[in-house]
Amino acid sequence: MLARIALIAGLLIVLIAVPPFLGIGWQNALTNMLIASLFAMAFNLLVGQAGLLSFGHAAFFGVGAFATLHLMGAIEDRIIAFPTPLLPLAGAVAGILVGAFAGYFATMRSGVYFALVTLAIAELFHSLAPHWDGLFGGEAGLSSMRMPWAGLTFGSPLQVYYLALGWTVVSIFLLWAYTRTAFGRLTLALRDNEQRVRFMGYNAHTTKVIIFSISAMFSGIAGALLAVSNETANYSLFSTHVSAQVVLHTFVGGSTVFFGPAIGASIFTLFAFYISEVTRTWLLYQGLIFVLVMLYAPQGIGGLVQTHIQHWSKISWPELGRAYAVAAAVAVCLTSALVFVVESFAIIFSPEYAAVRGRLDGAWPPFKLFGLEWEVFSPFTWIIPLGLLAVGLLLLPTARRMLRETWNHILERAEAARIAKSEIQLAGAVES
Amino acid sequence: MKGKTIGLVLGAAVAFGLPAGAAQAEALKIGIIESLSGPQTSTGRLFAAAAKFVVDEINKNGGFNGAPIEVIEYDNAGGTTGAADKFKQAVADGVHIVLQGASSAIAGQITEDVRKHNIRNPGKEVMFINLGAEALELTGDKCHFYHFRFTTTAPMRVNALVNAMKKAGELGTRVYSINQNYSWGRDMEEATKAAAKVGGYEVVATVLHEVNKIQDFSPYVAKIKEANPDTVVTGNWSNDLLLLMKAAGDAGLKVRFATTFLDQVGNIANAGNTALGHYVAHPYNIEADNSDFPEAYKAATGHYPVYIEPQTVNAVRTLGQALKTVDFGGGDIKVSEIAKALEKASLDTPMGKITVRAEDHQAVIPVVVSKVIENPKYPVDGTKYGFGVVEIIPGPDAIYPVQEACKMERPA
Repeated sequence: MLARIALIAGLLIVLIAVPPFLGIGWQNALTNMLIASLFAMAFNLLVGQAGLLSFGHAAFFGVGAFATLHLMGAIEDRIIAFPTPLLPLAGAVAGILVGAFAGYFATMRSGVYFALVTLAIAELFHSLAPHWDGLFGGEAGLSSMRMPWAGLTFGSPLQVYYLALGWTVVSIFLLWAYTRTAFGRLTLALRDNEQRVRFMGYNAHTTKVIIFSISAMFSGIAGALLAVSNETANYSLFSTHVSAQVVLHTFVGGSTVFFGPAIGASIFTLFAFYISEVTRTWLLYQGLIFVLVMLYAPQGIGGLVQTHIQHWSKISWPELGRAYAVAAAVAVCLTSALVFVVESFAIIFSPEYAAVRGRLDGAWPPFKLFGLEWEVFSPFTWIIPLGLLAVGLLLLPTARRMLRETWNHILERAEAARIAKSEIQLAGAVES
Repeated sequence: MKGKTIGLVLGAAVAFGLPAGAAQAEALKIGIIESLSGPQTSTGRLFAAAAKFVVDEINKNGGFNGAPIEVIEYDNAGGTTGAADKFKQAVADGVHIVLQGASSAIAGQITEDVRKHNIRNPGKEVMFINLGAEALELTGDKCHFYHFRFTTTAPMRVNALVNAMKKAGELGTRVYSINQNYSWGRDMEEATKAAAKVGGYEVVATVLHEVNKIQDFSPYVAKIKEANPDTVVTGNWSNDLLLLMKAAGDAGLKVRFATTFLDQVGNIANAGNTALGHYVAHPYNIEADNSDFPEAYKAATGHYPVYIEPQTVNAVRTLGQALKTVDFGGGDIKVSEIAKALEKASLDTPMGKITVRAEDHQAVIPVVVSKVIENPKYPVDGTKYGFGVVEIIPGPDAIYPVQEACKMERPA
């Protein structure tokens, strides 16, 4: 427990102390990371803890953003006075109200039907929003400006970052505190056995509506932070893309681990920020990461981290280190081979390359990649990825075996320790 | 110089990366914030390719301010949120001029972002050149000094269509308006109604439908048939235009379509001979271009200029004309000076002269009305069809009055 608090405190110190030294591109990316993390955490209250998979959380994210923009507009026009740092409250209120209404209908069913109803609710907003100009500002959306408050201008990305950080940390703390309450336990019970919850005398539907509303409220706060950061919102916030993104973040991070969704959201936001500048095929890589995580680490990245922390004292680091070194070598080989082929093909089949070929009467000029020139039909060009692929594939069985054996050893030691502990307890019980 | 540098370092906490000092010429940076991944990629890339073509031209002639102009591409992933992010990134990279065109919603986002950035960072303004977003509010409610639009709008296209078709005797007296239910479609409907008096026609019915969601237009075509119009005016694009024309062809509907985006890549190939005889109003027609531009463009990009590429080329060339009139002597670039120069710039194109209207920064550009014909000089999409020129309407005749909603604050 102490180690965990130290870890979180350390992370907080980094999040507070480092950003002033970064460029505004990074500051903005970190703000987006915080927003995505909060959104995924709010979403996971529903999917991870209550076992309700929603495909329409964009609805509450968007509603939070629009409510905040209306409030910002009212402040800008001096209709009301309101402290700028508390703007996300508007998102929270809108989120909980719309969440309660939508949740009342959605939670009447569970499983696939629940997912479909939530999908329909988001789609409803998505198709209505462009036509309700007064409320959603048409397809151009609403726009406003952050007003100075208490000597702070909220003009720089850094100030916006700290605002987002404050709200995200408080919200995630509240979400964590929620899991410690009796109602939080009931949420888990609902996921594991709804029938039993009902037999215990609880109204399952009301319980689900409340959970749904709370999840929607925090999603609304996340949306509000986006509105504060971007100062605009339009109906595309309601698109299935936004709903799908949060599902992706949550499952890559791991829905069974409390901080999992935040990990997934952080990794994917920073990945998108960094890689989308480097290559246009970044969505392909993002998709591949998702598929690989789902296939080989269904508990998500958060699940992997948790397994390590759980068995910390039982891990033989030299053995695990060797296994990870081999696995990393395999990953580097296969990834490089894949990236080389994908990026080469992206160039060779691009219209720009076709234009150059047209000028050269159909000849295949060499293409530039990673700072070097490569001949299209030269065997040397393709020997590199093929060689990397071969090395990767050759080492793959070894890596898998080493990983399996190392972890078997760790789990055996953990099991032995558990048995030994229970024997001591048993002996103690017999003696007394 | 030293004091200035220190001041800049101190200012970096609130502002952005250090601009190059006076010893080294500051390069003009142009950021293209387009949809370079996702469903709108094909259009986004056309904008980027056309803009780069002109920047290469300018750089071949010595660039600007003693350095080649730098072009940086940003992928907005087709959404406003992505565009907002990439705008911030562009500011972080020190971009002076932002180009975008593939969506009015994204243009709305960027123009607002630019406006706010300029309010907060006086002296470090950024300018936005809108290459293809046609929503009227961009030069109306949302107009500001640092936004320039180099494309047509609904009234420009409709008025051109009505005048040319009337002159050709193909307009008739009964006009049907069918459009997509969002600002562009509504702009088109308003423009069609407004032109009724001049065109001497009656608008027999108006329809607004969902955007890019309808798979079968036959119920709509049945309604059109009932109303018995001579001409159907539509601002539809992409599938909504294709499927509408196909349904009309299948139903044997004998009407003429007056369109705005029939020249989108792939439309003619898909529509085939059902497109024959229909009209389109666009800012450029290659058939009327006797300059060496089509061949030069083909040599650089592998294809003749299509769809929104010519207007993009003209926009950036007009910027090039404006850049010729400002001189920072290799020192810091002042975007407000470039914006002022762009207001006065003009460009002679094979279609006619392009100028900028100072009141709302709408470019005054000629509109070409064309008709789909067989065996033109430049067939499109690998078919035997292409666009024959019906009439070229010069910019001053095509332009619409400045919108009252535009209240532009000019820098001192």
